[in-house]
Amino acid sequence: MSEDVALDVKAEMLRGAQSLATAPPPNTNRGVTSDLSIDEALLLHSAGWEPVDLVCGVSVASVPFGVWNWGQGEIGVASAAHNAAVQGAAERLKEECAKVRGHGVVGVRIGVEVRNHHIDVDLVGTAVRPVDGGSTPAVPFVSDLSARDFTLLKGAGWMPAGLAFGASFVYAPRRSAGAALQQKTQNIELTNFTQAMYAARESAMERMQRSALEVGGHGVVGVKVTEGPMSFARHAVGFTAWGTTVKLVADVHKNIEPQVILPLDDAVVMFAAQNLRGK
Amino acid sequence: MTQPADLPKDLPKDLPKDATHRLEELEHGLFTSDLSVNEFLLVKEAGFHPLGFVMGSSIYHIGLQTRKWGESQELTKLTEAMYTARELAMNRMEEEAEELGADGVVGVRLDVNYYEWGSDSAEFIAFGTAVKAEDGTSYKNALGKPFTSDLSGQDFWTLMQTGHVPQGLVMGTCVYHIAHRKLTQALGSMGQNVELPNFTQALYEARELAMTRMQDEAGQLNASGIVGVRLEEKSHQWGSHTIEFLSIGTAVTKTTGEVTLPKPLTIISLDN
Amino acid sequence: MSQSSAELPEAAVRRFRSGAFSSGLTVPDFAACLQLGLEPVGLVQGFCVMQWGWYGAGSSFMRGSNPYTMGAQSEGAYSESYRCPHGYVSAEHRMWGQNLEQPWVEAAWSAGYGAAYARMLDEATALGAHGVIGVVDRVTPVADSQTSEFHFLGTAVTVEDGPPPAGGVPWTTYLAGQRLTKSIEAGFMPVAVVASMASVRVWAYCITEYQMEGGRGWGNTNQTGEVEQVIRAHMAVRQLARKHVRQKLVGDALHGVQIDVEKRELAQGDEVIDCTIRGNRVRRFKDFDVVPSPRPTVRLS
Repeated sequence: MSEDVALDVKAEMLRGAQSLATAPPPNTNRGVTSDLSIDEALLLHSAGWEPVDLVCGVSVASVPFGVWNWGQGEIGVASAAHNAAVQGAAERLKEECAKVRGHGVVGVRIGVEVRNHHIDVDLVGTAVRPVDGGSTPAVPFVSDLSARDFTLLKGAGWMPAGLAFGASFVYAPRRSAGAALQQKTQNIELTNFTQAMYAARESAMERMQRSALEVGGHGVVGVKVTEGPMSFARHAVGFTAWGTTVKLVADVHKNIEPQVILPLDDAVVMFAAQNLRGK
Repeated sequence: MTQPADLPKDLPKDLPKDATHRLEELEHGLFTSDLSVNEFLLVKEAGFHPLGFVMGSSIYHIGLQTRKWGESQELTKLTEAMYTARELAMNRMEEEAEELGADGVVGVRLDVNYYEWGSDSAEFIAFGTAVKAEDGTSYKNALGKPFTSDLSGQDFWTLMQTGHVPQGLVMGTCVYHIAHRKLTQALGSMGQNVELPNFTQALYEARELAMTRMQDEAGQLNASGIVGVRLEEKSHQWGSHTIEFLSIGTAVTKTTGEVTLPKPLTIISLDN
Repeated sequence: MSQSSAELPEAAVRRFRSGAFSSGLTVPDFAACLQLGLEPVGLVQGFCVMQWGWYGAGSSFMRGSNPYTMGAQSEGAYSESYRCPHGYVSAEHRMWGQNLEQPWVEAAWSAGYGAAYARMLDEATALGAHGVIGVVDRVTPVADSQTSEFHFLGTAVTVEDGPPPAGGVPWTTYLAGQRLTKSIEAGFMPVAVVASMASVRVWAYCITEYQMEGGRGWGNTNQTGEVEQVIRAHMAVRQLARKHVRQKLVGDALHGVQIDVEKRELAQGDEVIDCTIRGNRVRRFKDFDVVPSPRPTVRLS
């Protein structure tokens, strides 16, 4: 059986090499450029869709001087700038997708840089469309789902509706010197700090949810929360929440009924004690 | 999450107003989850629907505790602190889940963050996805609360197929100080193959304490067992002679005990 | 641009004469390669060091003009001007700005890349190869001197019973091993490794400078806004890179595209943005067989 496969593949390679010997007919096609791996391209095809073109969207939003100086509560201007940058980049990405008549963009790679005076957002993905045509939707979808995840979800009756996103920036609260001394030996919750960080995180998540509702989504999957102080202003902490908004397009969710497999590969490992070590 | 008897009972029950607003939005039908697409599909397969991403956090100041240089001992004050801080975070996460009417929370992760402007304090965060059974059966645990578990979507589906249900995330912690060896002792055994009784005793006791406490919690939930136990050992910010031993797992009970897992296909993968 | 075999480095000639092959393939890739009927004949490489600067052919300095003069642009290259909306303010106030494509930089890059690639093909031809697989290309700037080195490495192969390469030029691909097998099974024949680069320089005008430096002037206190000039430059550089690459495809498809963007912020809101696109140029040689929907599985260990 395996011999047949090997011969098959050799024959294919030979055919391919021979095909180069004859010059192709003049081709006015706009060549497809896609950053999908061959596996992803095949999966996409098995779902009846195909890649069209590589598309990009960029935005740079300015942050005025003095915004990061230590204050209290939320840094509204920074949150607004971050939001504007993501929206702007997503709009341009959708424009490029519409120009090549794609129905949506998958596998979007998101690059965000928060600098002292500007916030930069860089999006790259592959525009895709159903093989058998169909009318281009008014607003193409954008999603950071890989082509593989897109195919899986589609098989279950769901489609991506858009990128869900929310951000919030906050100043770390201050403690008075007296309070700091008093608390030194105690085990105690720092309620100020807790409230501030908690509120900021929730606020980012809430904005993400709102962005999902705005595109008429039913849910958000793959939520990733990032947080951390700014490298240029360590008293300012930024929280962002990203995910893909999805919509149920079939009448009901279709169960996938997975096959359970038991790989018999572990010849050497007898007892996986790694689990116990939390590694 | 259960509370051991010796901890304060007046844990705050307030959630920030942004949280209540966000949860209201979720109750109107939108769901959020940090499940990957794989996990989402398997959770649906198990007959559950994700309700929302829930989280709880607490910034806790960990008080100083004096310790004897030459004695190995548990640092009970620090143990209490680490325990309470995680409790607070987990409790708030559970409150959010209850607010959504969830049966349970899957994929719980407990993280500890250190910020530069807070010395001796750390932020403890608990994240997870609240889920609800689609057929209306209640899966709340023996204490009438939604179950918590650190099982991934895949493990959750597999567990349900074996006729067991998760009850709650159980944990036991112990912060132990390991005695420094006296100079004479150190010189005496230099260059020899010898067991170090100090260290052996200390580390053994510490781990046992952590695991016993974890099992006590499971007992309170009337669980029949604990799966996926992990032992973590961290020095956090205390230096190398103070270690926190954390034992954490998911307590489960048998419902039917009937394994409906389809017979697996055995394969040999020839990949790297 | 390519050297004749007589000019291959002496060491290369010695290496090829030895007869035994060396290859950059890992063991699984090597096995997959043999399964495809490809026989490795040797490790081949190409190298070139290229410098570019203000004085490159076509640069505005070369033509004696100043980037601040309206209309200072190369033939057919992208450029967009921006004019300050305020009246005369001061001598330092930047009244004009321009986004300028830098074709001399692009030409230098193309020349360097092309030369290194051609030298790798020369080595492959000297070995009698039909194609080169598992190509790795690296462009490394040499510190601070507007010089870059281009390096190509690949494994030259012959196709069992295969025809000599069309036009005497071996086909090339970044892929090797199972990935190459899957690509062939899906009906795509590698033609060549293709890469293109676009470079755009942002000469900021007053509004851009203020926005990028956090300025609050002109009644714009505490407000955030998109920096239009810089965004236009970023979008343009990506579109140009794709346009350049498409010209090399002649209707074939480009798979496994990798896009890299590098930007260097200079003073006062100025920026230089370089965008490089690489991929495998492939041609369909048989009708596409749709793979049936694969079965999802859950592992038990």
